[in-house]
Parts: sequence; C-alpha cells; structure tokens
Amino acid sequence: MTIGTNLTTFAGLPVRPFKPGTRVQRHGERVAWRISVGYDGGERDVADALNALMDTVGAHHITALVIGSWGESQSSGPPLHLLTAARDRLTELRALFIGEMTYEECEISWINQGEYAPLLGAFPALEVLHIRGADGLRLAPVRHRRLRELCVESGGLPASFIRGFNDSSFPALTDLELWLGTQEYGGDAVVDDLAPIMTGTELPVLKRLALRNAEIADDVATALAAAPVVARLESLDLSMGALSDAGAEALLLGQPLTHLRSLDMSHHFMSKEMATRFAEELPGVRVDVSDEQDADEDGFRYVSVAE
Amino acid sequence: MITVVGIPGHRRVELFRAAAVAAGWPAPAVVGWRDVCAGDFAIAPGSLVRLESPGEDAEVDRLLRGADRPAGHGEIVGLAAWYAGFVAAARRVERAATGPLTTPVDELAVMFDKRRCHGLLRERGVPVPAGFAATSYAEVRAAGWSRVFVKPAHGSSASGVVALAFNRSRVSAHTSVGVEDGRLYNELRVHHYTDERTVAAIVDRLGADGLHVERWFPKATHAGTVFDLRVVVIAGRASHVVARTSRTPLTNLHLGNARGDLAAIRAAAGEERWAAALETCERAAACFPGSLHAGVDLMFAPGFGEHAVAEVNAFGDLLPNLLVNGRDTYAAEVAALPSWAVPV
Repeated sequence: MTIGTNLTTFAGLPVRPFKPGTRVQRHGERVAWRISVGYDGGERDVADALNALMDTVGAHHITALVIGSWGESQSSGPPLHLLTAARDRLTELRALFIGEMTYEECEISWINQGEYAPLLGAFPALEVLHIRGADGLRLAPVRHRRLRELCVESGGLPASFIRGFNDSSFPALTDLELWLGTQEYGGDAVVDDLAPIMTGTELPVLKRLALRNAEIADDVATALAAAPVVARLESLDLSMGALSDAGAEALLLGQPLTHLRSLDMSHHFMSKEMATRFAEELPGVRVDVSDEQDADEDGFRYVSVAE
Repeated sequence: MITVVGIPGHRRVELFRAAAVAAGWPAPAVVGWRDVCAGDFAIAPGSLVRLESPGEDAEVDRLLRGADRPAGHGEIVGLAAWYAGFVAAARRVERAATGPLTTPVDELAVMFDKRRCHGLLRERGVPVPAGFAATSYAEVRAAGWSRVFVKPAHGSSASGVVALAFNRSRVSAHTSVGVEDGRLYNELRVHHYTDERTVAAIVDRLGADGLHVERWFPKATHAGTVFDLRVVVIAGRASHVVARTSRTPLTNLHLGNARGDLAAIRAAAGEERWAAALETCERAAACFPGSLHAGVDLMFAPGFGEHAVAEVNAFGDLLPNLLVNGRDTYAAEVAALPSWAVPV
C-alpha cells in the first residue's frame, strides 16, 4: 500500500484547501487550512500562499495548518523557517502537518525533511505535530511542554532522529506514532534505539504508542513484552509492519496486556492460529489482526509503506 | 464509400466496419498495411480513407522498419526507422487517394512524434508539462528536474516509457521495459530499477531513436489510486471519456490497469473544472483540424485545480463497449462523417 489519498480531516477538523485568491466565507471557521504548491512551484509560492492565508482568514484564526507539497519536495526540505518567521502572527497555531502528499506527488521515502527543533522552539503552544517523510529529518534536543501528539510517517526513519527524540523532553506527550520503515529506505534504527521510549520515564502521560510500518516489528514486539511503558498505555499499535509469529508470541507471553483498550496488529505475517490466540486471550481488548499478509517466495516480509 | 487502411481482421478494423454498416454505409473496403508497403493496393476514386493502426502485426512492423528480421514479442527496436517507414507508407496512401483522409498524414506525423506534438500544443497555449527533446540519459539528468517521464519520441501507449526520479544519491525508474540478452522488451509488468547504470543503459538505448522528456506532472488521485483521462474528441467535441487508474506511475490500459469510476471522478472535480478540462482536450484536438478524431490524454493535478495534456493519439479511439448516447466511439465517428466531410 502507498498513500494515495489526501487527508480530509486533521486534528479533528475538516481540511480546507487554500490558494491565494481563495474566497473565505467567514472568519474564524473551524477548519484545518491546507496549502500546497504545484510541482513547478517553490519556496516563494509557499511564502505567498502562507501570507495570503494569514491575511485572508486572519492569522490568529489559524489553529491547524496542513502543508502539502512545497514544490520540489524530493530535492529540498520544507521551508519551516517561513513558519518560524510567522510565529508572532500564528499565535493560535496548535496543530501542524508537514508533507501531506500522496505517492504521486512524492513517494514517502523521497520526501525531504529538515531540522524541527527551531520550529518547536518557535511554537511553544503547539500540541500536534505530524510529519510525513524522513529523508534528512533531524531533531536537535528540545524541551517542549505542550506537545501532545507527535507522528512521523516514513518509509525509513533515521536512528539519528529517534536519538534526537530520546534526548528531548516532551512531558505532555500522550500520543507517539513513529513509522520505522525499512533499512533500504533509511530506517536504520535497531530496537535498542527505542529503549528510552520503552522505559518511558521521560514520557509520563503517554497513552498511545504506535511503532508502525516496521521491518523490525518482531524485535519491537519482543521488547514491548517487557517494556515498562506498556503498563501505562491505553493503546498499542504495531500495524503495517513485518510482524510474524516470532514477535507476536513473545508479546503474548510477556507482561499482561489486558489493560489495553486496543491493540492494532493489522497488516501482519502471523499465522491464523497466532492471530486467533490474541483475540482469545485478550477478550476485553479491541484486537485488530486484519489484513494478513504472506511472505514472498524468498520469505521476505514487506512492510506496508516503503518507497 | 469508405476505405480502411489497417490490419485486415484486426478488431479495430472490424469494429469500425461494423459501425459503418450499422449506420447504413456500404461495407468499407479494407486495405492492408502489408499491401501498402508492397505498393500493391488501390483506393476507389473519391473514397473517404480512414487510417488505422499498423500495430500488432510483426510483419508490417518489420516492413515499416525496413528490417531483415521481425522484432521479438514485445521487443522495442528501430522506433525511428518505424516512424519514417510509417509516415512514408501513409503518404503513399494519401497520394493514391482522391477523397479525404480522416487523419491527414501531416497531422499523423506530428501526433506520432511526441516532441513535435508537445511543441505544437505548447505553441497553441494548450497546458502541457514542461518538456524537451533528448537522446541520452546524461541530457535527462542535466535538466535538473527531480522527476521526469522519459518517452520514446515514436513510442505508442506506455511502450518504452520510463518514469524517473532522482535525488542526490538515488535514482528510481518505473518502466515496462525489460532487458534480455541486450535487447529491450516492453513487458506487461512494471519493473522498478534503482541501479543508475541499468537505468542509464536503458535510457541511452531508447535515446538512439529520440526521446521526449517531460517534467513529472503529479496527478490527482481518486479512491487511493492515481488516474488520468482518455478523452476521445470527435469532430471537435469531447465525446467518449474513460478514467484510467493505476497504483504505479504508468496509467495505461495495456498494463492491466482498471477503468476508474468516471462519475465519481467528475463529481470530485466539480462541473466547472470538468468542463474546463474537456475544453482543453478539444483545444488539443483542434491543433489537428483535419483529423476526424483524436484521443487526448488529460491529467488533473491533485485538488483538480490544474490540468495538463499528456499526449494526443491518432489511434486513441479503441474503447470497446463504451457507449455515449448509445454509440461507441466508432459509431460516433461514423455519425459525424456527413457533417465533417461530404463524401464524393
């Protein structure tokens, strides 16, 4: 599977595309504004669109913003500095998505990203940050007191980003979603890189942990079997990855999971028996073992989204 | 009276003949391209002449290329020679005919050269992606675009098309071209090459016969799949439309892709943008004013705000069983004939 559809909602709000010249019905509409420039556009077009949006709807009415394509999204990272430069106008910005593109606009593993610490520093009230693509994605250690949701979708998440996250502090984070991806597309993290997340001491209010689209899903599941953070979670998501019976059994035989509200393992390589055991042994948990996959003739297990 | 020049027995020829007969025309005469190549053919005086595709006949292909051996199944070889031979054969038909051709050879020659076709559309203000002519991989890279479509100047449908992406350290090519024993083949499956030497070798081989390089126009998606439209313009009007959907960068029915839900796509675009897109197709076809019909491939950008023409196909009207007002493309073309040209 690849990402072939644009979001219709973000941060609980309907997504509304905006282009310079777009008429706005009324101010203060509760929508997530989306700006995206054509394939032959560039930073200047993003700047024009952002300025026009702020002028048209009123910058202080913008609570959620979706940036789609910034033009040559696979050769240069997003112009985050345009947002940081507008920090004094975008005072109400709470939710931000950077790189909301379909595979046709740019394959996920080809989307260039950048350094996010200055952006987080500029928006201390930001609550939701969603990033698609991880080529060149970096995070210098930051402390951010308000961020509740962090999601990074990728075909390969660099270990250096995870280490940057580990060295940062997000005391308000309730929802962490990382698409680990595959080594082939830059996902060079090993399960030890996730140790601070598994321990969870720096994530005191985490309720949902999603380590998705992982080639190393078996290692992740095995580590989660004994990870202290799990006891505090309401929701655990291991979907879209290469999870097989090996990792699944370790998880099932590990610490109790009965306190979870949901356990998502969809897109998996488990046997039917193993999938059934999850449903039987966790009767109070919403277990999703749909979308069973078969390894290819060479025994290779593909994650859901790679290139 | 109508004469069809094509591959006798081919369904393109048979479907058109059936449509003509059903509309009350005398059964059209059929002249084979093989006989045209041999110079052994005649066209009834005053007959309207419909040129049909010479494709899917290995011997005709060999004759048009002037080659010693027939191409292997799906082999991509001698496209420039094929083009020269095909245009020359069509000229022979044109000279032999005293009535009009439903696709004049001057226009056919442009439609079968993607470089010239693109140049003409751009000159006439029809929206097309930026593009240029090239003959090598090095030229393609030197353009500095990170995503391009490389098309053989004289290829038909998706044959030989390479969808290329580059960045600092990577190259990615999706194409139906396969390589075997140093020969290029058009295959039914889409290959994915990531080794630059392989990609460069394929593009260089194709480049020997001329390439049209186009900046990748990101296409809109519908229901999770990318699509483009094939719009058959008949006697100036956008007539039959199909959406071609794909999960790979190559939307083409030959690659086993499905027809999309046209009504849903139209609704997603909105009537105003839909009408603008069809008008663009009519303007593209109007660049070929002597042609009774043209198959225009139209791409919408994500969000449907923009659109562009990918190609104009002289033989783009094979859409069997697609009825508009009870007529398939052939029946609609036949119905348009009396007002389009008065047969002598």
